[in-house]
Amino acid sequence: ASSDAARDGSICEDAIVLSITSALAKDALSYFQSCKFHECIDILIQLKQKKHNDPKVLHNIAIAEYFRDACSNSMKLLEDLNSVKKQSEELACTVKEQVEAVNPGTNVCVSKDQFDSTVTSFNIVRIPMIFLVSAMPFAVVKAITWFHLHQYTKSLSILVPLFRNIEPLDETIALQICFLLLDIALACHDAVKFLAVFEYMDKAFGGGSGSHEEIGSTMQLSSNQVSKTSSLLSSAVVSDTLKSDLTAAESSLCEEDYENVLAEFEAEKRMKLVGHIPANNLLKALGERSVLTVDLKLELQLYKVRFLLLTRNLKLAKREVKHAMNIAQKRDSSMALLLKSQLEYAHGNHRKAIKLLLVSGIQKEARTSGIFNNNLGCIYYQLGKYQTASVLFSKALRSCSSLRKENPVKLFSLSQDQSLLITYNCGLLYLACGKPLLAAQCFQKASLVFCRQPLIWLRIAECCIMALQKGLLEEGNTSLDRSEIRLHVIGKGKWRQLMMEENGFVELAGSSQWPKLSLPLARVCISNGMYLLKESLLNDSKSDLESTLSLKINETKETSDHGEANTNSDLKEAKGGMNQDIIQNSLSAFKDIRSRENQLIQQALLANMAYVELELENPIKALSAANSLFQLPDCSKIYLFLGHIYAAEALCLLNRPVEAGSHLSAYLLGQDDFKLPFAQEDFDQWRMHASFDCEETSDPSTGNPRDFLKPEEARGALFANLAALLATQGHHDQAKPLITHALTVLPNNVQATVTAVYIDLMLGRSQDALARLKQCTRVSFVPGRLDVKAS
Amino acid sequence: LAHRVRSTMMIMKMEETAIVWPLLQSDLRPIEDVLAEFNSKFPRPRHFTVCSSLSLLLQAFLELSYINAHFAIHSLYTGNESKVIRTVSGVYTHRLGYIVISVLRIGTNRKRDVVLFQDLMILRSTDRLIAFAIMYQCYSSQKPSANPFVSEMINAACNEQAEKYERAFLLHLLQWNSYNNAKEILKLSAVDYIKSFDPSTHEFPDLGELQREYGNKTDSGPSSHIFAESALKTLLHDPDVPRGCDPNSPEFDVQSGGNSKIGCGDRDEAVAGILGSSTKGGLTPRWIRPCPPRYPVHQSELLWIDPDNKHELVWDDKMCADTSRGATVRDLLVKGLKVTLSPTEQEDITSELANDPKLVYHCGITPRKLPQLVEHNPQIAVEILTKLINSPEIADYFTALVSMDMSLHSMEVVNRLTTAVELPKEFIRMYITNCISSCENAKQQDKYMQNRLVRLVCVFLQSLIRNNIIDVKDLFIEVQAFCIDFSRIREAAGLFRLLKTLE
Repeated sequence: ASSDAARDGSICEDAIVLSITSALAKDALSYFQSCKFHECIDILIQLKQKKHNDPKVLHNIAIAEYFRDACSNSMKLLEDLNSVKKQSEELACTVKEQVEAVNPGTNVCVSKDQFDSTVTSFNIVRIPMIFLVSAMPFAVVKAITWFHLHQYTKSLSILVPLFRNIEPLDETIALQICFLLLDIALACHDAVKFLAVFEYMDKAFGGGSGSHEEIGSTMQLSSNQVSKTSSLLSSAVVSDTLKSDLTAAESSLCEEDYENVLAEFEAEKRMKLVGHIPANNLLKALGERSVLTVDLKLELQLYKVRFLLLTRNLKLAKREVKHAMNIAQKRDSSMALLLKSQLEYAHGNHRKAIKLLLVSGIQKEARTSGIFNNNLGCIYYQLGKYQTASVLFSKALRSCSSLRKENPVKLFSLSQDQSLLITYNCGLLYLACGKPLLAAQCFQKASLVFCRQPLIWLRIAECCIMALQKGLLEEGNTSLDRSEIRLHVIGKGKWRQLMMEENGFVELAGSSQWPKLSLPLARVCISNGMYLLKESLLNDSKSDLESTLSLKINETKETSDHGEANTNSDLKEAKGGMNQDIIQNSLSAFKDIRSRENQLIQQALLANMAYVELELENPIKALSAANSLFQLPDCSKIYLFLGHIYAAEALCLLNRPVEAGSHLSAYLLGQDDFKLPFAQEDFDQWRMHASFDCEETSDPSTGNPRDFLKPEEARGALFANLAALLATQGHHDQAKPLITHALTVLPNNVQATVTAVYIDLMLGRSQDALARLKQCTRVSFVPGRLDVKAS
Repeated sequence: LAHRVRSTMMIMKMEETAIVWPLLQSDLRPIEDVLAEFNSKFPRPRHFTVCSSLSLLLQAFLELSYINAHFAIHSLYTGNESKVIRTVSGVYTHRLGYIVISVLRIGTNRKRDVVLFQDLMILRSTDRLIAFAIMYQCYSSQKPSANPFVSEMINAACNEQAEKYERAFLLHLLQWNSYNNAKEILKLSAVDYIKSFDPSTHEFPDLGELQREYGNKTDSGPSSHIFAESALKTLLHDPDVPRGCDPNSPEFDVQSGGNSKIGCGDRDEAVAGILGSSTKGGLTPRWIRPCPPRYPVHQSELLWIDPDNKHELVWDDKMCADTSRGATVRDLLVKGLKVTLSPTEQEDITSELANDPKLVYHCGITPRKLPQLVEHNPQIAVEILTKLINSPEIADYFTALVSMDMSLHSMEVVNRLTTAVELPKEFIRMYITNCISSCENAKQQDKYMQNRLVRLVCVFLQSLIRNNIIDVKDLFIEVQAFCIDFSRIREAAGLFRLLKTLE
């Protein structure tokens, strides 16, 4: 009885403590929500003392401190969260030990009281244990922080185990995990991962449940009323806001385009299409969207569209975006309009895309105006208007940086830094404008996000090559040695070890100081690209998440099969659900597209590698790169041509003229004529690879291959090179007509001219040589020093 | 461009030229001294460059083609050939002027002028000796065959037209057979050596012999491929062919002044110019190396940005929260492991579980405890298992169910589960096998208990078959044998008949 009394006493005490602490906790939360972080932290510290380092208190302190420091120190947050993790692991351990110590057998009843008191005193009630640590919010916060730092792999390493055990988790946390996974999958272009998560969400939270439908209908009613009252105003409001936007943007944009857009608007307004667009005051501020308050149904539909856009299933995306518009019509349609704009952009209907982008209204908010400018910049880039695109991209970057300086930092908004993505776009733009040094700077900055993608390495290598062509390379000033084998010296004295490093991935992205552009840098970049490409080819066959998640897909498949047995499939279509087959088809089509793209990147990497190795006077490597080009299946004719030219030169440099000749004579027609190594169609096809059928045919002048030989010129190069080869073999008479032919196609080519002069001189026709030099416009006579301009 | 880069590395600097040229001219000093001074002034890495320049200079008379080309270009530039001739005629006897005039005549009468070339060498004989000595000395620590300029030296040593003292000098340097006096000779000055030379005492090997001895290195230099080769070969063997204008060719620096300088340029200036800008290259056929095209920018590479969800840093709202959530259920369930719960208690559990869909994961029923719950409260067990069907741990619960002792309650649970959720086929199969073997094992114990169990299993199986939960084909033989074994029991016979109708 006495023990009972004691127990009652302690329970009573517990209750008092509980009421005090929970009151404090409430205060802390309200301070937190009103952005008074200093006050919030004061209370949390009191709680920490009362609750003996309760992990939950520590967690909240970490977050409050992070916001107090204006979200500036993500690394500190991560460290704090790590110690929270350690703390809760220790606690979990103690609880487990105590439970097991008291409760060794199966006789549960005896230990029940002790168990409960242990558990409650540590404020951990959850069983089974495995969920205790991993499911705590700090893990999710860590994943979110890594996500915002663009460290997707790290974020995934936390989220994937959580997703595997998602069933027991609270719905809010489960939703957060799922949405985060979706965004990561989109950022990584990982359709498989996306689908696995999406299918689960659709099953667990999405369609089927009537509750959302009901919410929708009630909301529909209220918003209908509003829209009725505002419908009279809406058209006027919309056109006004548009006009103000136009004038705002006018300074940087081409006027005629806007005139056209405006005209289209007027036309559409007359057709009453604008009536669908909600007036500005109905738009829920996009920046305030939050996982916990979003309309799940709309959100899932939007993600579905994004999946279809990712997998480039534009036909289905069009249908689904319509559906999204229907749902959104009653609510916030800006995101749906944005996706519609993206769809039109993907279709190549650039004017329509601009229009929808403006209508989406995202330019009005500081938070999203950077995104608006970036997307508009993409459209102008595609239109070939690089000047305008560059203005837009730099505007986008400016608004991003001003967002970062915003004070005080808004609650629940870890600065969403998109500037690295915009920087990548800038890089592409500078490359297109022929500014390799600026482009390289952009790519190097963006490599923080994209360093696992082969394409960015190819782009940096292209910057090096372009800088080489423009004479912008500083020779002899490269930190990367020309030698390809590097030995790392590890340890000291008798422990000194040498470690070979060869052909691996050279970590450049992490270092703050990038080496200057150079050919050896190009070589490293290309080999990094090849390495990543091979890695991704390997991963295609065995994806970590895929295998674990495919289980989930299959489950869903089974259940949906069951569903189809009962319900009419037409009904399903009408409901806007996605047919499993369509999704899987779109997924496999996307896989095909990706593998084709990877093949093209591989071809480009190999061709660039051969070129760079030749420039670095390494014919053996150049030859092997060219040879691997020939072994690729379905290699583009352009790259085959380059491969033959490079291989032949490499063989000449290796004193193997006969083999070199065989590479050139592959293109021989009869005795002394060459066929075109590739057709203009080949080039166009390659340039537009995997592109969609554009409804508006893009301006051919914008995509003119200024930087590459025309087919006829390529044939000229074959003539000239065969002539050079024959000349070195002493067959000057044979070489003469070939070089003459080459010069008719390439009259101002330096190399061909020099070869021609050589042949003339060897044949003793110095007058001809002089005449040739006179004709060539690229010879200049400088007093004191004769110089032939380098090509 | 790479070519140009390489050649700038190979070119001697102005100040280096200023050192080398006086050294070559110091024909009265012992050669040793000259070499020592050379060593003190040039670091090892520059040796190759200097020797390359010297080697070119030694061949300068063969290289006249450069000057020829220069002149051709120059006349093209001014467009006035006669003026050039007049300018140079005043210094006709001067060597360089002589050369220029000779070259000018190539167009009209090549044969005659070539003869004129033969004795035209830019370096005097004493200069040449010192130059060769430098080339030898730079690589004297290695075998002669490792000297990159050994082929030049061999060629010069075998040149019938060359002076005998020069050839002997080279053979000494190369240490050919009886020529082993290099040390002695180098103590003399160049002038003294020539004076003391006795041509009658010397025999000269032919080119083949020397090449065999010194590794048959006919080509030289670091880069050797057919382009370079074709350039070098023609330089050596075809001196009368004009070779045009290499942009890097040295001689255009020699007389950078234009017209007036051609005539009055002197030997020193020419030598300095050659030394200062020579490369080992010559005019070669050029290869067109097209640059790979820029990889096209697909519109998906250009990053279109969608605002993503605000991923909030979540405040842990469970902090200091009431932890009694689900406490009643947990308490009741602990009780339920021991005794059968009252209907109201059962109802409490059911409604609490329905209110909080995640509570089932935290209610304390682990796979290990499941059998006890099944035995005492099969209804609740079914309830919990149904809710746990999506749990990643559900397989463990099934395993617990299969491995527990067969009983009415466990069968009831499985039977109810089959109608509530979809069970894995594997599990049902295992469970049935388990049932059948339990019946057989019960034989030894209690006849009554066995009969009871068999009848239960039969009813259970019939229910499964009727509800299409199992495919009879999978278990046909096993179940048939079971029926025959226990044919004395009415339910077994009934099951047998059911099987027959399905067959």
